[in-house]
Amino acid sequence: MKILNFKYLSVLPLIAFTGVFLGLPLVQLVIMAFGDVTLRAGTFTINFVGFENFNRMLDDELFLNSIRVTLVFTVAAVLLTLLFGTVIAIAVDGLTRHSAWIQNIVVWPAIVTPVVISVIWLLILSPQIGLLNKIFEFIGLEKQIWLGEPTPALIAVIAVDVWHWTPVVFLFVYTALKGVDSSILEAAKVDGATYFVRLKSVVLPLIVPALIAAAALRVVMSVKAFDEMYLLTFGGPANATSVITIYLKRVFLESFDYGYGAALSLTVVLMVLMTLLVMLGGQRILRRRNVE
Amino acid sequence: MSSKYRKNPFAGRSPLDDSPRAINRVVLGGALLSTLVPLVWMVFMAFQRPRAIISPTFSPEFSLSNFEDLLGPQKVFDEQILNSVVLVISATTICVALSALASYSLSQLNWHPKMVLVFLVSAGLIQLIPPMTLIPGLFYTLHILGLTGSLMTLVIVNVLINLPFAIIMMKFYFDSLPSELREASQLDGASEFSIFRLVMLPLASPGVAAVGIFVGIQVWNEFLFALIFSQGGEEAPITIGIGSLIQPWGINWGSMAAAGTMTAIPVIVLAIFASRQIVAGLTSGAIK
Repeated sequence: MKILNFKYLSVLPLIAFTGVFLGLPLVQLVIMAFGDVTLRAGTFTINFVGFENFNRMLDDELFLNSIRVTLVFTVAAVLLTLLFGTVIAIAVDGLTRHSAWIQNIVVWPAIVTPVVISVIWLLILSPQIGLLNKIFEFIGLEKQIWLGEPTPALIAVIAVDVWHWTPVVFLFVYTALKGVDSSILEAAKVDGATYFVRLKSVVLPLIVPALIAAAALRVVMSVKAFDEMYLLTFGGPANATSVITIYLKRVFLESFDYGYGAALSLTVVLMVLMTLLVMLGGQRILRRRNVE
Repeated sequence: MSSKYRKNPFAGRSPLDDSPRAINRVVLGGALLSTLVPLVWMVFMAFQRPRAIISPTFSPEFSLSNFEDLLGPQKVFDEQILNSVVLVISATTICVALSALASYSLSQLNWHPKMVLVFLVSAGLIQLIPPMTLIPGLFYTLHILGLTGSLMTLVIVNVLINLPFAIIMMKFYFDSLPSELREASQLDGASEFSIFRLVMLPLASPGVAAVGIFVGIQVWNEFLFALIFSQGGEEAPITIGIGSLIQPWGINWGSMAAAGTMTAIPVIVLAIFASRQIVAGLTSGAIK
């Protein structure tokens, strides 16, 4: 009897906490999505309007723009972090010495406070005092207004995100490389396969599951991305870096349009879920093909 | 020649160690430079006189004035550091306590495998939700409970967003403890709670530390909820303090660099000395 009590008591705090602070907000979110919500004198009033909030989305140019920007941002940032993370992991794995401290330093950007990362990159990208323009001037190139023009600004926030999150992919791939059965590689080496042939035909297929896992994680992170966009460009110029989280913040905290914002939120969550299902389905198929 | 060596002529060496040296050096040199140069530049700027920073020519002038300015008597930066420290300690403690109890239970107390799966899958799914999308619901709920506008609110939301990760990772550590330990302690007459607290928790302490360190860093770094749920000024954590230094109409470059340096240093010190725990945290997604 005693064990039964402790067994259930031990998960009770967790369930109570998430029930109140996650369950209730999620229920509220769904209710709000189907209503017109007003906050007046500290009280919320919800009038049901059916699917009106969802219909509004299709004509909302700013929302459609934010979906486009998020797509471009996500695809570019995820692919570039996968590329750089993998290349660095292979290079570190090839080391016979020094790998510990190099690995340690390479991971730093992933844990530095995102707000500080914005500070770091403002100090580099600022047109007046930035390091990049100082270098450009030194080698005789024209100074640029990196964050002031739509396309350069989008490229800049993607670059900052890649700098921030390449370490995560690096760690996934590096761990996978450490797990590669070295006897297969030795056999290939003895058979005369050159370094690059072994990389391409032995190592790469073996780390594909890790790459897909890293890609899935990175997609989720990219959709969540907010801090750097908010601090570096504030979504601008001309909404060029207005990803979905920036747009949601505007709807919630500048228009106070909670009902519409809730509908947008639900849509975003469903989109993320669907993308991941597709990616994990792909991973299954690949795994099965590897086994066969 | 030892028999071990004969069995595996490449023992301890990577079979990829014949990688082209030149390419490797370029890749690693590039990775190290691009990691370090931006960080070093910020620290360098933090120790420059404001007029040296904005000077069109490169004319370094070492000075501590940015830090003196930032910590001056009329500034709230020191209070914001204190707020962040209080926030990190309370949110991390609550998060670790809730997740350790629940994960231990799920791992060792004979839950039906399906129930365990329900917990883990929900934890995984919750991590997919962008925090921004929770804001209207959270705002409403906290409003009803009268919890808006205090450091308490931030403690709650920080615990919430870190719980799923903490549970998945903590369960992983408790799974590695043998179940015989609990049975033996039971025979000795120990109560279930004291078995958890005096036997299992100490044994899982490396895992608890790893979760604690990682959650602590996440809380220290958190910006979005602080932006929405705190009133700013002396009530806000440090991330908001730095954010408020970044204004579209004019940036105080020196203070900003100094604040960034002071915020980044504790995290980087942790990265140097607790790198194993941090790596475990960053790759915990792979366990799923």
